Amino acid sequence: MTADRRGGAPERSEEDAAPGAGSPGHVGRLIRLGGRRSHGRIYATIRWGGVLVFAAIVVALVVSLVWQAAPAFRHSGLSFIFSGTWNPDTDQFGAGVFIVDTLITTGVGLLLAIPVGIATAAALSEFLPRRIGGPLSTCIDLIAAVPSIIVGLWGLLVLIPIFQRDVEPFLQKIPLLKHLFGGGDLGSGILLASVVLAIMMLPTMVALTRTALQGVSVADREAALALGGTRWQVVRRAVIPGARPGIEAAITLSMGRALGEAIAVSLVIGGGVTFPHSLLANGTTLGSAIVSFFDEATGVQRSAVIGLAVVLLVFTTVTNIGGQLLVRRRGGSRRQALPDQGVALTDAEVVPA
Amino acid sequence: MTTGTDVPTRDTADLLSPEAVARRRRIVRRASRSTLRRRRAVGNATRVICYVALVIALVPLVALVWYTIKRGVQGLSEAFFTQLPVPQGVPGGGVKEAIIGTLIIVGLAAVVAIPLGLAVSLFLIDRRGKLAASIRFVADVMSGVPSIAIGIFAYALIVVPSQHYSGISGSFALAVLMLPIIVRADEVAMRTVPEDLWDAALALGARPSRVARSVVVRNALPGLVTGNLLAVARAAGETAPLLFTALGSVLFTTNPFQPMDAMPLRIKLDGTQADPHLQTVAWATALVLLASILVLSIVARAFASYATRHAR
Repeated sequence: MTADRRGGAPERSEEDAAPGAGSPGHVGRLIRLGGRRSHGRIYATIRWGGVLVFAAIVVALVVSLVWQAAPAFRHSGLSFIFSGTWNPDTDQFGAGVFIVDTLITTGVGLLLAIPVGIATAAALSEFLPRRIGGPLSTCIDLIAAVPSIIVGLWGLLVLIPIFQRDVEPFLQKIPLLKHLFGGGDLGSGILLASVVLAIMMLPTMVALTRTALQGVSVADREAALALGGTRWQVVRRAVIPGARPGIEAAITLSMGRALGEAIAVSLVIGGGVTFPHSLLANGTTLGSAIVSFFDEATGVQRSAVIGLAVVLLVFTTVTNIGGQLLVRRRGGSRRQALPDQGVALTDAEVVPA
Repeated sequence: MTTGTDVPTRDTADLLSPEAVARRRRIVRRASRSTLRRRRAVGNATRVICYVALVIALVPLVALVWYTIKRGVQGLSEAFFTQLPVPQGVPGGGVKEAIIGTLIIVGLAAVVAIPLGLAVSLFLIDRRGKLAASIRFVADVMSGVPSIAIGIFAYALIVVPSQHYSGISGSFALAVLMLPIIVRADEVAMRTVPEDLWDAALALGARPSRVARSVVVRNALPGLVTGNLLAVARAAGETAPLLFTALGSVLFTTNPFQPMDAMPLRIKLDGTQADPHLQTVAWATALVLLASILVLSIVARAFASYATRHAR
């Protein structure tokens, strides 16, 4: 950038037009022309410095985790991912059980949270009168800020006794499903972890879905109404299809949070290290394994625990990239008026799930 | 005379007879009434289902907050804010070190992350090239990185080389956690400043740094405050990044190079003990943490609504 600025005036404008790769914003071009050298340089240094530090942090995050985990990957090879045996005494480190438990808890959590979340968002934005729906939505947005440790504490001290006393015996009586709920009268376990994850996902999912539903244009709604649709038919045929990318993004982002949640899950999942035989069995997710095993781990085992973080990072990154692509797909036709604006962060994305 | 083709045949005559028309009208009316009835029934059923879902969603969320308040209030006292933790079995004690620790750790993280995030978003704000697009994408993906992974990153980068758990490494972890959120929130806030204002300032001969400071940042200030406060509120409640960095401690310290306690760490430690007194301490800490985070969020929202009101 500084090189650009030192050139003569005519060359400068040519060079300025070139580097944008796409179309450099006209404001950006003006700024570069208008800058007096020394101040411009300080400003440019601040901006480029910020970007470089940010990039360095991202690179360092990936490199240092992979670097620290490398000994374990070398030690275990592919069995690190596919083996279900995690036994520090015999130096066997297979994350299979943790991966399976992570996928099950996230999946069951999503199964619980998606229908409730979408229906709640629909109730808030479409069915309830605004003077009730508005304050309720604000409340749910605020509840999204509840830290995961508090949800975990509540799960540990309140939900575990309830599950032990009422929920689990009840589930075991259901005729067809009882094979899913064999064993365990412990309270803690995979099912409770899923429920806790669902509770943590709900506020974020509701807030994002609500934003998506409200983003559907009045014209689309009126078109459906003009065709004689009832309120529900408007929602079903016009609003939900219109908000679909936003809803999908809400689900994916919640899924990323659920995959990576460590603290709350570690408090309620119990900590079994064998493949689960039922939803009531104790388990260990990638996140809760890191919380439980990191402290006493040394040598290869510590490296293996960091390896779990790498696996987790891969899972969540893939999910989030998917989510971002979904969000960006919405930027196709409808948002051409605001090119490259990305997605507006709602409060719900900022606060923890 | 008209030809035979215009003469109604027997069939058409039947179709046009008043009785036939009336019959058809009845059929149509009945059919439309029944589909309308059916559509209304379906609509009402789904509406009820949505309300039920709303209740299902609200019950655990409200119960969670209500229970935290109910149990937390029992543990609040003056000693809770002014004393240090006592050993198990001893009554009394407080969590002064955790409250101060959270303030220091989160404060240091904010002091680093907020200006850095502003610098990055100033870079993004007037650029539409591939570099800016990829930085945006990375920031979005980064904001979904699990906090436990960020904690391990800070452990590997700071705790391992310095061979010492420290508050500052916890601050680093929280700063990394906040940074992508701040970058995106700042950019979104600054994009609400109309480009005409930029152009006007530039046309007056203002330097770009001056435009950024006096026009963009000043006009976007309420939005910037909102985004940054929400990011700080989120970081304040995080436990996972502090587990392997700040570590926790029962000693009072304001030295960020020492292991430090923080409210989330204290909740995790005391809440997992069987001692009911310690559990009460955990709930009270949870209440204080929750209240501070809610206050931050509400203040942030107040700035946001101030911003929208003044944008009109």
